[in-house]
Amino acid sequence: MKILMVCTEKLPVPPVLGGAIQTYISGTLPHLSKFHDITVLGISDPSLPDKEVKEGIKYVRVTGKVLELYREEVVRFVEANQFDLIHIFNRPRLVMPIRSVAPQSKITLSMHNDMFNIEKINPVEANAALEEVSNIVTVSDYVGNVIRTLYPETSSKIRTIYSGVDTERFLPGDHPKMRHIRNANRKQHGLENKTVILFAGRLSVNKGVDRLIRALPQLSAKFKDLALVVVGSKWFSQNDVTDYVAYTRALAKRQPIPVVATGFVSPAEIQNWFATADLFVCTSLWQEPLARVHYEAMAAGLPIVTTARGGNAEVIRQRENGLVVDNPEDPSCFAEKITEILSDKSLMKRMGVKGREFAVTKYEWKRVADEILEVWKQAIEIPHTNIPEKEKNEIETKVEMDKRGPRLENQGSKEVVATNKQRDKEKQLKKVETYKKVETYKKVEIYKKVETHKKEEDHKKET
Amino acid sequence: MDNFAIVPWDVNELTHEFFIPDYINTLAVEVLKHYSFQVRSMQVVTTKPDKGGAIWKLETDSGPKSLKLLHRRPTRSMFSLRAQKYLVEVQRARVPAIVKTKSGEEYIEAGGKLWFVAEWIEPLAPVTKDLAGAKQLCYALGEFHELSKGYIPPRQAEVASRLTKWPKSYGKMVRKMDWFRNIAIAYKEMPASQSILSVVDRFQDQARKSLVDLNQSSYLSLVEKGNTSWGLVHQDYGWSNGQMGPNGMWIIDLDGVAYDLPIRDLRKLISGTMADLYHWDVTWVREMIRAYHEASPLTPELYELLMIDFSLPNEFYKNIKEVVYEPELFLNEVTTQLIQTIVDTDQSKWPTLNEIQNDWRK
Repeated sequence: MKILMVCTEKLPVPPVLGGAIQTYISGTLPHLSKFHDITVLGISDPSLPDKEVKEGIKYVRVTGKVLELYREEVVRFVEANQFDLIHIFNRPRLVMPIRSVAPQSKITLSMHNDMFNIEKINPVEANAALEEVSNIVTVSDYVGNVIRTLYPETSSKIRTIYSGVDTERFLPGDHPKMRHIRNANRKQHGLENKTVILFAGRLSVNKGVDRLIRALPQLSAKFKDLALVVVGSKWFSQNDVTDYVAYTRALAKRQPIPVVATGFVSPAEIQNWFATADLFVCTSLWQEPLARVHYEAMAAGLPIVTTARGGNAEVIRQRENGLVVDNPEDPSCFAEKITEILSDKSLMKRMGVKGREFAVTKYEWKRVADEILEVWKQAIEIPHTNIPEKEKNEIETKVEMDKRGPRLENQGSKEVVATNKQRDKEKQLKKVETYKKVETYKKVEIYKKVETHKKEEDHKKET
Repeated sequence: MDNFAIVPWDVNELTHEFFIPDYINTLAVEVLKHYSFQVRSMQVVTTKPDKGGAIWKLETDSGPKSLKLLHRRPTRSMFSLRAQKYLVEVQRARVPAIVKTKSGEEYIEAGGKLWFVAEWIEPLAPVTKDLAGAKQLCYALGEFHELSKGYIPPRQAEVASRLTKWPKSYGKMVRKMDWFRNIAIAYKEMPASQSILSVVDRFQDQARKSLVDLNQSSYLSLVEKGNTSWGLVHQDYGWSNGQMGPNGMWIIDLDGVAYDLPIRDLRKLISGTMADLYHWDVTWVREMIRAYHEASPLTPELYELLMIDFSLPNEFYKNIKEVVYEPELFLNEVTTQLIQTIVDTDQSKWPTLNEIQNDWRK
């Protein structure tokens, strides 16, 4: 099949600047491209050519950053090319524009966060887009369930496909490939003979690393030779000091144990920090879709302490590969769970081994790709209008019959005939309605209306 | 224009007061080539080294002008520049007019930032530091708010709006009180830490109550009226950005304007003035609100919101938030005294607010 994968307008693929969605796409491509003719449409980056074919995959890179500009480029590209299936990543607002220029292609959608929320997409457009896509793939049950709550009719189209990790790159610190790196890293940062707790993520209020720092006095009273490593910059590749970063730094400075802040670490080198650590802690306070760091920590054989927020706990089996903090607002709850692990060395060891085992058996990229292939196969098998051919014929026949006049099969009393007729008619009307509703042009009309309205608004703005 | 991206610069005891890096001075000269006037002299009047912004005063063959390097994102600056143009050209507000380039543009993009030239209004004199002056400021602010209604930004600009963000910013204040407390605990041997710890609970409770009051007020229904019908807040209005000049009060430095409920500016002006007086004075507050009301009528709903905004621990928050940056320097004796002053001033705030609470009864 000829397949187009449409990335977001924010970051380039391959993930030279990081990004969960970009990593997901790049991780699955080697396997997907064995079965299909794949084009990846994304945004340009100075370090990448605007067009290239690499390992059989075509990459087309256009102007991005702002969705409106990117959307125009995407539409232009789709209009000039033919695809059997178009897989859109995390941008439901691209569905209708793409549909308007690709009436015959199947469309599938991957959802990585809350882009279906009311403030992110107008419900009229959201409904139209949801009807238009054959399947929706989400990175966690949490993400899928939020969409279900907002748009219950779409429930059966949603399926969770957990992300994956490169288990050849993310390896435990005692792996022959990593031992040297682990030791060198520890030596360089004064972490020799320390039990190293690792946090990796954006330094923001939502990600909550301050709670972990505030748990350190309690922990250091119980355990000797602890150290905390904080890997992360403010926002992907940019290092700038916000009030929050200043706050966490001010707290870190006063801790009884060393807190090593690494600043920005290139996505290509992040595995070295996982191999250097002994325990991984995710401190997210917000309803997080499901942070990639969990897979990476598992692959690196680290026990995990995470929070019961969003989808994070979905990959933790309590006391098997980690523990879940129910109230992450309270630093002592982190201290409690971390203590539980650190005070039982054999449990700690078992959790790490189990995590690695999960990573290798459940979270390899090949498994992710296989599940995407299944979804694509399903999408192709669904008839275009979303209504089975047989039912469609039935509706058409009934519409025809209705035109010819009253039917004669009801021989009962007049009343019954009338009621039955009424019911039949209602049923028929309903089916015809459904049929009409799924007609492509209708939805394109809705989209066009929304667009015209926007243009009018813009025009008003200009004048 | 091919050039370096403008970034914030360092200042230290070796750099003079208005130091500007050479590459920015070079860019300034390049920018001025796009204008038809002849520059006789240019002089730096303000810098924002931590943000990367600056203002020059120009003497030219067509009179004095200002050249500004705007530190904000270009798309954000486009919002405020078009607003300035709207106020001058459409509303005839007493706001400095933007001088166009030879090719008729309102700004030049250089070093990844926007630069523009505006008329330098002369003479400008601050109003007297008394109640009469305060009332002039308030009246001028009301006029400004009225005239800013109906502004629509250009398509390529970011829409700068704080209208829907009140609950979020109240919540942020509540949360940051935790930060102040945690830092004071972590640096408990510093002189000001005990002062912070002795008052932070009280101020945090006040902020929490303000947030509850906000959520129970008519805020949401006011928000529904939308950006353009409310118009713009200046965000940095005070005794220096509102001055007496030709034909009346002029309002300058519009670079931070954003859509919002206009009383945000009035609240800042009044609470800031009370801080300068070291106590809350019922007469001043009443008269200032009345002066504003004459130019821009306040509804009971807006008045209620003004009261709620007063109830926040604004001064404590504004003065202490810096603590996260260098607590070992900030938490000194001076800060201890500052906190004492804030607490003392705060004592007269509540009787004042109670007294005027029902002035605009529904």
